[in-house]
Amino acid sequence: MIARAVEGSGIPTITLSAALDITELVKPPRAVFVDFPLGSLVGKPFDIKGQINLIKNALKEGVNITKPGSIVELPYFCNDDLSPQTCFECSIDS
Amino acid sequence: MSPRKIIEEIKKSFPNQPPYQWSRFDSSPWTPISKPLSKSRVALISSGGVYIRDEQEPFNAEKNDLSFRIIPKNISVSKLAISHYLKHPNAEKDINCIFPIERFRELEKEGFIGGLADPCYTFMGRIFRRTALQTEMCPQLIEMLGSCGVDLLFLVPS
Repeated sequence: MIARAVEGSGIPTITLSAALDITELVKPPRAVFVDFPLGSLVGKPFDIKGQINLIKNALKEGVNITKPGSIVELPYFCNDDLSPQTCFECSIDS
Repeated sequence: MSPRKIIEEIKKSFPNQPPYQWSRFDSSPWTPISKPLSKSRVALISSGGVYIRDEQEPFNAEKNDLSFRIIPKNISVSKLAISHYLKHPNAEKDINCIFPIERFRELEKEGFIGGLADPCYTFMGRIFRRTALQTEMCPQLIEMLGSCGVDLLFLVPS
């Protein structure tokens, strides 16, 4: 909702999303979804390369959104148990 | 692997309460992006409850804290702490997991973005007072961003 307000004021926004179902309802102007857990959405601790890649991918995909309310899903996944040790798979490398 | 159904997970976490009524919209506001990333001043905001230890008040870690914290872009992350309802061990170890301030400084240095706006902003999620969020918090943030010459805002939920 903050993204919606800021966008409405004239500043473009990109929202990283951890909850696809909620994002689909709220419809921020540009959203990039990664299936990582809240509390660790940017990636594993101290994984500088992984965190940088995620942010770069989110920014690149976000700025390319042309339809308001679109959600781009990036291929970042967690295992079902969300354990920090086994989580954070990514099938892209930028 | 299909994305987790967060709304269902939340319902199960609060079985004795009526389902939360999420905000729903049919359309989205839109401001076209006018500059490439390499020339854009990007502002960073996180709902991770991050604050400057010993200098700023912690957030109300339960809910409905409508305040922001102003975080200078070049602050040492060792000075930052978290007051948040969700205590994830990864964020406690490396604050960049929820508030990637060091990563954005690196992207600025690399030239991937034109610059990281100064300051960065944080707040605490779990704001159920939606009217206050829209009438108090958002105008305050918009005013702060307006004074920084921001070209793009990047939001990280937590």
